[in-house]
Amino acid sequence: MEAVNIQFAPATGTDQEWNEAYARLADYFRSYRLHNRIRRTQLVLESLRRASDAHMKDPSRKPVALAIDEARKMMHDWLGTVYHDMHLTEPQIEAGGRLGFYISDGPDRWPLHFMDRNFVPPEMSGAMREAVRTSGPSLQVSKMTPRDMDLGFTHVAEGTFEGFARQPWMRYTVLAVFVTFVFFYVYRLLQ
Amino acid sequence: MSEPSVKTPPAGIIPRTLARARRVTFLTLVCLGTLLGTWLMIRFLQVSEGYRNAKIGLLICFVPLFYQLNSGFWTALIGVWLQNRPKDDPTDLWETIEDDDGPIDASTAIIIPVYNEDVSRVWEGLRVTFESLQKTGHLKNFDFFVLSDSDQTNKWIEEQTAWLELSRQLGAFGKIFYRHRRKPINRKSGNVSDFCRRWGKRYRYMIVFDADSLMSGALMVAMTRIMERNPGIGILQTFPKQVASETLIGRLMQFAQSLYGPAFMAGLNYWQNGEANFWGHNAIIRLDPFIQHCALPPLPKTVPFGGHILSHDFVEAALMRKAGYSVRLLNTIRGSYEEGPPTLIDTLKRDRRWCQGNMQHFWLLFARGWHFMSRVNFAHGVLSYVSSPLWFLLLVFTTWLAATPGDVIRDGPAERAGHLLLGLTATLIFMPKFVILLDEMVSGRVFKPLKLRMLALLSSMLDTVIFTLMSPVMMWFHTTFVFKIITGQGVKWVAQKRKLDGVDWREVILTFGGVTLLGIAWGIVAWMISWSFFLWLSPIFVSLTLAIPLAIWLSSGKSGQRFGLFLSPEETEPPAVLRELETNLAEVKGRLQLPPEIERNYGLMQVCLDPYVNGLHISLLRRRKNTQDSSEYLDEIADKLIQQGPQALTSREVNALINDTETVTDLHYRLWSATEHDLAPFWSLAIKQYNLAATHPFTHLLARKNPPLAPVST
Repeated sequence: MEAVNIQFAPATGTDQEWNEAYARLADYFRSYRLHNRIRRTQLVLESLRRASDAHMKDPSRKPVALAIDEARKMMHDWLGTVYHDMHLTEPQIEAGGRLGFYISDGPDRWPLHFMDRNFVPPEMSGAMREAVRTSGPSLQVSKMTPRDMDLGFTHVAEGTFEGFARQPWMRYTVLAVFVTFVFFYVYRLLQ
Repeated sequence: MSEPSVKTPPAGIIPRTLARARRVTFLTLVCLGTLLGTWLMIRFLQVSEGYRNAKIGLLICFVPLFYQLNSGFWTALIGVWLQNRPKDDPTDLWETIEDDDGPIDASTAIIIPVYNEDVSRVWEGLRVTFESLQKTGHLKNFDFFVLSDSDQTNKWIEEQTAWLELSRQLGAFGKIFYRHRRKPINRKSGNVSDFCRRWGKRYRYMIVFDADSLMSGALMVAMTRIMERNPGIGILQTFPKQVASETLIGRLMQFAQSLYGPAFMAGLNYWQNGEANFWGHNAIIRLDPFIQHCALPPLPKTVPFGGHILSHDFVEAALMRKAGYSVRLLNTIRGSYEEGPPTLIDTLKRDRRWCQGNMQHFWLLFARGWHFMSRVNFAHGVLSYVSSPLWFLLLVFTTWLAATPGDVIRDGPAERAGHLLLGLTATLIFMPKFVILLDEMVSGRVFKPLKLRMLALLSSMLDTVIFTLMSPVMMWFHTTFVFKIITGQGVKWVAQKRKLDGVDWREVILTFGGVTLLGIAWGIVAWMISWSFFLWLSPIFVSLTLAIPLAIWLSSGKSGQRFGLFLSPEETEPPAVLRELETNLAEVKGRLQLPPEIERNYGLMQVCLDPYVNGLHISLLRRRKNTQDSSEYLDEIADKLIQQGPQALTSREVNALINDTETVTDLHYRLWSATEHDLAPFWSLAIKQYNLAATHPFTHLLARKNPPLAPVST
């Protein structure tokens, strides 16, 4: 790990601006679940140091923006070394890389090597590379096509009559009921 | 798999002669009961003395209602008989497997379609199901898929983080998968079909969960074994028991389902045989025939309540049967659970959706090629809602006839027929309950300790009173639902509320105010007709008049649990999966909460601020190429989000932002890079508060198990 110079005296910008940048960086690195305060402080100071250099070159930008920019560059460079031969696009390295660090339990297992370009333990880089995931297993596409459904009433009637045709006892029952009904009705009329 | 042959039906298909004998027995009993009731009604109305329209109308309404009563009566009675029969049921599927059946060859996907659901409940439910399966030693045969159609950004992001965190905690990457659809085409059935098209070929079976489902690993393993042993079964439906209710109405349903449900299920199994229904969840499906035969055709848009089929489950069951596979109901007492709506209003909202779905089945009744029993199932589904307007009309005709007695002169036989009909109706309504209670008192089938059986007796008496009060209110609302659906007022797809978060008095008064007025008006009319008619009709108009206090009471937490009322076996002896789920959810609830304005936009805040959630979201998002115009538009709303906060954006704008990978990446850095001065107060507060609440676990919605389990070998 690089030695960190804790002397920080920016040539440009106000104390208030650099304090804001410091507070923001502290929050930012905390959002990475880095519970190792020493490592967090090292990263904050390193980012601030780089940001102060950048501010001298371009004082129009706010120190807080430059500080986060530098942190992003440091992260990008570090992830580039971890995933260098995996043929990932820049956005994949940036998004997937962060995620890989988390999935491999990086914040708890290797906090001191987070964003350390000089030395990444092989176990750590192996776990991070292994952890690039997708949202599902590989597709195995199948067709699921609705079949036509005939909702027609006429077909039902047809089907019913076909059913009757196959069952003689049903035909005779219906005939018997019909004949009985007719006789009963005639009988009532004659009363 | 080859389709079942007609000559030698494969295991799982009930022999035709047995099925036919059972059906004929049941339908004969139901039809005889209906005929008897109809004859008594004809005698009572003295229809032959004069065909007044009201009499004919009343009779037309009466017949299907009496059929329905008979159908329930005989189902329950046959169920009790089966439960007490010393001989084993030859169709019992449990008999086809043994405890030590050895390893399983089949791969099964457990799918959980979700739509803006409570993220904690869904994922903690998945956790206990996963762990329960792990204990059986058969986890390697099962994969989990959470299939999201959530269109609320916060829910979507929370689902993603929950997937990540749970998979990490359980070592289950490669076992638990998450998929989100941008466009929820064809709602839940479309969601399931999408899964089938993408991954269906990888699995022999799928077990379908609802967002609130819970199943034990042992039951899922047993279901898989039953499917393996019975290749003729296409769908195997379990009996999901309602659990985890806190309100009176929820506990009442739970109790009723526990006590009366098994007998009804046994009876249903008796006459439905291999043509049972699929209820949409807590069931296992043979995927190959499902993919081949069960894609849902849309109904013509030209017919009323046509278009996309809402209640897909009944139709899928009918299609599966049409394809030659049986649909069976598995007699399950434990292991399959679901949750119910917590209030009367939520129950009605759910019923409105179901009502539209069931009404659509009217068009399928006459479609070509269905098995006869599938038509019966459709007809019963339609009747379950149409019976309400029929009952309402019956009461209206009764009031009309009472108000205009005309030439009706009651003679002795008519009076006797009326008394007999009243007695018969009361028997059909109360006898099943009485018989089931008697069986419980004697056998202790549900509750072993005598004290609990006595409490069940008391609870049953009370539930009779409460259900009597509820029924007319439900009748009125179901009547309005049917009317609205016929007149083309469709329903929206909304997430179902499953937990009580306080009774909204204003909503209750607005919802039930009209019903109260109807009850009062009807009571006055009845009073004006005659004192005896007033008394006869009093259960109806008193219930309608008391709708508001009834709704508030039913939706309250005063559910009688303190006095041991309405207990269910899941409350007295909670199964392991339920116990664990409750413990985990209590832990989640007890965790540190963020300020409400942050909590409301938690998912959005996470995806913007948290480097891991941001990375996760981008990794899961499909990359698209933006045009110049769309880039400018996205930049504009991103500025608005940073400077004015999430409340300044419409949900459509938030969706547009969150679906674009470049914008989401930029937002993360732009927010962290902005000075206090440039940030909306929401973001200033979020940056300060986020790390306090989101250190461990990763998302504040999930409880963390320590130590994390070892990765699962796949």
